[in-house]
Amino acid sequence: MLERRPSSRRLQFPEDSALEELPTAGGIGIDRDVSIMAASISGYTFSSVCYHSANSNSDHEGFLLGDVRQEETVSISDTQISSAELLQVVEIHNHDPCAQLFSFYDYAGKVNEENLNSILKDRRKNVIGWYRFRRNTQQQMSFREQIIHKQLTQLLGVPDLVFLLFSFISTANSSTHALEYVLFRPNRRYNQRITLTIPNLGNTSQQEYKVSSVPNTSLNYAKVIKEHGAEFFDKDGVMKDIRTIFQVYSALQDKVQAVCGEVEQSERVKEKIQEDVNKLKQQIALRKRKTAEEERKLREAQNADSHSTPEENTEPSEASLLSRITFHTPSAPERPSTSPNPPSYTDLLSQDDSLLSSSSPPTSAALLPRPQAVGSPGHPTPGPLGMGLGMGLGLGLGLGTSSNPVTTPSTPYLGNGDGSSSDSLDRQAAGQEDDEDDEDDDDDEDEDSSEYENLVSEGAHLPMVSASVLAQGRPAALSPDGDARGSQTT
Amino acid sequence: MAVSAVHLESDAFLVCMNHALSTEKEEVMGLCIGEVEASRIVHIHSVIILRRSDKRKDRVEISPEQLSAASTEAERLADMTGRPMRVVGWYHSHPHITVWPSHVDVRTQAMYQMLDQCFVGLIFSCFIEDKNTKTGRVLYTCFQSVQAQKGSEYERVEIPVHVVPREAIGKVCLESAVELPRILCQEEQDTYRKIHSLAHLDPVTKIHNGSVFTKNLCSQMSAVSGPLLQWLEDRLEQNKQSVLELQQEKEKLLQELAAPLGC
Repeated sequence: MLERRPSSRRLQFPEDSALEELPTAGGIGIDRDVSIMAASISGYTFSSVCYHSANSNSDHEGFLLGDVRQEETVSISDTQISSAELLQVVEIHNHDPCAQLFSFYDYAGKVNEENLNSILKDRRKNVIGWYRFRRNTQQQMSFREQIIHKQLTQLLGVPDLVFLLFSFISTANSSTHALEYVLFRPNRRYNQRITLTIPNLGNTSQQEYKVSSVPNTSLNYAKVIKEHGAEFFDKDGVMKDIRTIFQVYSALQDKVQAVCGEVEQSERVKEKIQEDVNKLKQQIALRKRKTAEEERKLREAQNADSHSTPEENTEPSEASLLSRITFHTPSAPERPSTSPNPPSYTDLLSQDDSLLSSSSPPTSAALLPRPQAVGSPGHPTPGPLGMGLGMGLGLGLGLGTSSNPVTTPSTPYLGNGDGSSSDSLDRQAAGQEDDEDDEDDDDDEDEDSSEYENLVSEGAHLPMVSASVLAQGRPAALSPDGDARGSQTT
Repeated sequence: MAVSAVHLESDAFLVCMNHALSTEKEEVMGLCIGEVEASRIVHIHSVIILRRSDKRKDRVEISPEQLSAASTEAERLADMTGRPMRVVGWYHSHPHITVWPSHVDVRTQAMYQMLDQCFVGLIFSCFIEDKNTKTGRVLYTCFQSVQAQKGSEYERVEIPVHVVPREAIGKVCLESAVELPRILCQEEQDTYRKIHSLAHLDPVTKIHNGSVFTKNLCSQMSAVSGPLLQWLEDRLEQNKQSVLELQQEKEKLLQELAAPLGC
């Protein structure tokens, strides 16, 4: 249950408070007075989630750890004596990324409490929410996500568990990318979306320094402030506070450096062990293939002994030809199914296109190469994905590395302008969640997903996409403008 | 065109994001260090955070001294990695405004291209929110400049950019990340020093200015140093955990390898 923390009282005048519509008593076990919600996440945590997402070749998810506080704001107005509003503040301190998808739930969305505990360990009590990163999808919770959310709410005992959804979309030529994020509190009936703020340095303006003193001819004034003000300065005429605060900053910066050094070491250690693990896996895979090859040869030899017809010459050679094709794939395509980490980027780059298209279907949905994603080198994706779409899109689409950086018409959009994406794209692009069929037409009490204007500035020419390519919705577009402030188009 | 695409290593991307999200009240900037491959792909390995001497809105320019210092840094990275590294581009942020480069940005980019035709520009747009749907956005784009004909205005050219996965954060990127609080403090000190040297201020004004310095430094510590330290600690914890798990996996694999075939 939500801990009741001591609430801090703040005096506010009506115009200062931003009131939202009050929910009716529909919340699940939540104090009906808690109406307004604010949420924050540090820029470093946010960037870290982006970083982990960029490193994963499918969807990415994890848990949000932090604090929920309640603040009471008291407003005084002429008409009423006073009214108290409870402001619930969600502070996301850090995130706990999951190494892979389906680590604590299965394809049906059933959460496994044991796995959950082994992932969270003692951080479980700090969980205030969870997050998911998807590519080219709508800004709404999928059906499975909703199911998981309900279970997590129960298991973790957090009635107002939040869900942070990241959605990544790009322009067709991959020159511009957008990461959208929405914070949901799905356990409430109303006002399910909360603004997520990223506290920052804000106003670093140094205009608060005074360059001149207010003119004053009073001798008394000058005398008094000099005499008593002297307390503030040391013998060099420097303000004591300056030195003191600088000490604080210095000590803090030293600590930052020290921990940074430790982190750097741990990164190198981790890298090394990961390399060792990868090598071992390769060795094991190689050995398996060799054994299988040897067994096959043995079988052929046995077959050859039992038949003594002239045709025997062709049979083994045909069989061996077939098996040569089967075992033609080198280690690289197989790596995705054995390694928990995505194949290294350089390996992907060095592969032949034909190798990619002949690879066997990966074993785990989570490890399918992403069609268009952060980090995609623009190689065509393997056959199974492209064929499954039935839209003639050929995901992968020669993005990015086309020689003409001025947009070329050959690449269609992925994802539609209104934030939704065509079903099959959604399935493939979003890490292959198989039972997404049920996710359409979610409960629409919520506002619509964001709308986009066309991503065109005067100079750029966008690809003309044929209607058949985009089976649903209008062409995807990005509008970088969240604000109308400062028109900066070229 | 000289550049076909830009590949940005994810740890460099992380540092850019950190930097861009550090303040919503002004544009931040930095330089990109990396190499240009034979395929005309610009590969960015790390970034350097820069101070902005001219903080006027939309005047993001790099001084020759900064470029020179960055080149030295690039040489250091080259020594460390054994690969030819140099300054290959610049990035800056557009808080609350569109991700597209302004006319000034395009002209600045054109200038750098005169020195190096492979020089690229990155822009990060952040602190954007669609109030209706409560959707926040962070965008990034890559561009170069081109002049349609001699004497005409420069125009933006879109360059494809991809973030390249990198599971471990590189040393140079970590060092760049922790530079930010130091740069902020230096800026504050420089400003204060100028103010402090004004002789005609009365004690009350001096106390006021000293307090402003203290206040600003406190802001920096709570908004930047603190969260940075927290993130570093969390990362350390995560790495320790990963190392444990990887070691267990390694043991298991070694056993499997040692076991007789057919098991």
